[in-house]
Amino acid sequence: MSYSRWNHITDNEILQRYYSDEDNEWLGILLQRYTILLLGVCMKYLKNEDDARDAVQQVFLKVINDLPKYKVEYFKSWLYMVAKNHCLMKLRGNGKKTTELNEQIFTKAENNEEIGSAVEKEVSLSNMEQALAQLNNEQKLCVTLFYLQKQSYQQIAGSTGFSTMQVKSHIQNGKRNLKILMQRMQPNE
Amino acid sequence: MSDELKNILSHLNKDVEQEKLLEYLNKQLSPGEQHELEASMQDDPFASDALDGLSQMKEPVHISSLVQQLNKDLTKQLDKKKKRKRRQIIETPWFFYSIIIILALAILGYIVIKKFLAV
Repeated sequence: MSYSRWNHITDNEILQRYYSDEDNEWLGILLQRYTILLLGVCMKYLKNEDDARDAVQQVFLKVINDLPKYKVEYFKSWLYMVAKNHCLMKLRGNGKKTTELNEQIFTKAENNEEIGSAVEKEVSLSNMEQALAQLNNEQKLCVTLFYLQKQSYQQIAGSTGFSTMQVKSHIQNGKRNLKILMQRMQPNE
Repeated sequence: MSDELKNILSHLNKDVEQEKLLEYLNKQLSPGEQHELEASMQDDPFASDALDGLSQMKEPVHISSLVQQLNKDLTKQLDKKKKRKRRQIIETPWFFYSIIIILALAILGYIVIKKFLAV
């Protein structure tokens, strides 16, 4: 795509350049990195291609207007929240402003990572096997086929008869439950 | 086996390239590549939501042109904003010049009329 020459520069660097010279070209480079993801998120919530396309354009406008007003640190999480909020507001069908989520997102993202890495560090493989055995059958099957046999959603859907969306949600729920089970198994400090 | 167990909770949060994602949606990737992309999107709620939405598109072949159109519109929008900003700066002095000229004409007119009436 037209901005591929900037591919080696991180979001954060581009964001800093934008904040220092307020040149909208930087914003163009940043946003175009996420057009396809924005389209997907809007499509997920609005379930209609035309609505999703309009929503992406409105999110672009919102970002162009709002980004100079905030000191955004993690562009990707901020953009995701803006898009999600926009779609939810659209679904609710009113123009009421949702609460300011900017700061919350970042702390939330960091916390998640902390929990993730803590679990990762203290992961005990025998616990993991035990936890895996405690999952319900669908989740156990999908998690095993995906992570241990490295199959794709489509392959799993083919062999189990679930839809790819069901496969994805069994894996995600299974993974979440595994984390909870693993945390419970860890001895209290 | 043990490494694979660890993978379940690890954060493989690599950003997925748009091209790769388009190939995935158009079913042009091998099962192994599909798995790799799905695994890297698992821990990224933005990408994961996007994948759900994009899989619902009736004709994934059109996603690429839709994205290009959206990017083109965005560039136009940003250009317009830039021009508007520049125009504002350029137009401002003319606004003051015209006020000065009108004031000068008014004073000149006043002087001429006063002189004419005096005669």
